[in-house]
Amino acid sequence: MQLLSYRFVLLWVITFALYYLVPQKRKWHILLVAGLVFYVIGLRGFPVSLLITCATTYACGIYLKKSLLSQKEALVNCADKETKKRIRQGFEKRRKLVQILYFALNLGLLVFYKYTVAALPFIKGWGIPTGFFEKVIMPLGISFYTLTAISYVVDVGREQCEAEENPLKVLLFLSYFPAVTQGPFNRFARLHEEFEREHVFDYDRMLRGIQRFVWGAFKKLVIADRIGLFVDTVFASDVSGVPGSILAVAVVLYMLQLYADFSGYMDMALGVSETFDIILPENFKRPYFSRSVAEFWRRWHITLGTWFKDYVMFSFVMSGTGRKLTKTARKKWPVMGRHVVPIIGTMLVWAFTGMWHGRTVSYILWGVYYGLIMSVSLILETRYAAWKEKCHIKDGKAWGLFCMARTWLIVFVADVLIRSRSLEQAGMIYRAMITRLDVRALLSHDITSYGISKYGFLLLFAALFVWLVVSVWEEQGKDVRSYLAGFPMPVRWCCYYGILLVVLITGIYGGGYDTAAFMYQSF
Amino acid sequence: MEEKVLEILEEYCEEALSYDGDSMMEDGIIDSFTVINIVSELEEEFDIEIDAKYVVAENFKNKEAIIALVERLLEE
Repeated sequence: MQLLSYRFVLLWVITFALYYLVPQKRKWHILLVAGLVFYVIGLRGFPVSLLITCATTYACGIYLKKSLLSQKEALVNCADKETKKRIRQGFEKRRKLVQILYFALNLGLLVFYKYTVAALPFIKGWGIPTGFFEKVIMPLGISFYTLTAISYVVDVGREQCEAEENPLKVLLFLSYFPAVTQGPFNRFARLHEEFEREHVFDYDRMLRGIQRFVWGAFKKLVIADRIGLFVDTVFASDVSGVPGSILAVAVVLYMLQLYADFSGYMDMALGVSETFDIILPENFKRPYFSRSVAEFWRRWHITLGTWFKDYVMFSFVMSGTGRKLTKTARKKWPVMGRHVVPIIGTMLVWAFTGMWHGRTVSYILWGVYYGLIMSVSLILETRYAAWKEKCHIKDGKAWGLFCMARTWLIVFVADVLIRSRSLEQAGMIYRAMITRLDVRALLSHDITSYGISKYGFLLLFAALFVWLVVSVWEEQGKDVRSYLAGFPMPVRWCCYYGILLVVLITGIYGGGYDTAAFMYQSF
Repeated sequence: MEEKVLEILEEYCEEALSYDGDSMMEDGIIDSFTVINIVSELEEEFDIEIDAKYVVAENFKNKEAIIALVERLLEE
């Protein structure tokens, strides 16, 4: 079920009505049922994988809680420091073993579903019958709820949140329907608090939620899906005959498409959730205003970045292996040694990020590319600052724009890799942009022969301009929805209806008035 | 102890000394690389072990939070 479908809107409206009709202690039941309905209709089947993840997550959480409690009780009656250490280590060892089994099972499920299709040719090659594997369908949102579940188990183990005693509440945490397919990645402590606090109907909040949903639909239908017409045509064609300038425009538009699509989904998900008075974490903070790649990734898919930082990077660096490596590297290279473990951690994080996003070599290369850029920036950070000072470069507007352009260029190079149909096509695109740019092709009729007409482009640029203005306002700390609310009622409602009409009239719809799938749903 | 923590912060992230907010990580004052280096220095300096469970935004929200974390670990 797409967020932009009449079935979803119907589910939303019914859930909304029931949610505010039932008493506070029953509200979470409504959200749980809505989540399961969303999931079952979306999957057209029983969510076996989700239930396995939920059951193991719940059981693991309870085990960890009991183990931590027993450890505390055992330590209370012990005075000797060495014995205390031994007791603690014993409990930690058992908890670690259970967690490893849990990770192996759930990550195993994720890897199985995610990579079965990609592995089919190899399986065939080994002579194994593939009938069973060909029927495997990746469960909706498995990449999202698996990582969300892992964060819960790690947080319970780290005593950063209390294990939930009610398995249905764990299920709600994993299947909360606005976030189950594409995130944002929630943390149990925060979301649980949101579910548990009192929720009273508020007209203004409902309106704000709907506004955000419509704004997300605008980004998805008017911008992302329109860009898709052009980008899909260019990349589906024989790029050896396409001028480099048109390929460059296609890649830049793809960068915007991905952002409009994913941030549009987030606006819709956060908007729906806001109508239930459940505030989800923000996942985007205008990443294309970033002055460095590191900043870009702090503003793009924020909850995934913090997930990898907290559960992969820090877990590795603070592990026994990480600590040993740090000590050895620092002893061997007093100055540069301190960078060794952070660099290994960064490369690990980016290799996993690449694998999480896609099943092809291109995605792994994409991850390695970002990992290398981050690592090189880290090593050269001090030299870079010295060079800047030597050249008398000040942090003014011009420098800021240069840094933003540099970020765009780095992301541009990476996005060619993930959008191309193959590595060979990516190579051809890079080559074409260097050897036969042919800027005149942009001014000729060529550009309108790739799925969008002249008027389609004009509409797209107008929509992009509106988006840019809103983004600049937001970047300046202004809240556009509050700003609109300050206008007299007739003006305000003209704006609301205006944008709704623009979405309905100029959005790109399929035959059944449905929409293209969200891009991140396939990750 | 406090002085030593501030010295370490000065070496790795001078901005942290003048920062008076309460979300140093989210505000981009301190990134994960800097956190890792600060943690390593603190561990070496005070002979403590800072487990991954302590490396959260809350414990690195400002210089006072870092000092409080070290104090807590020294007491344990």
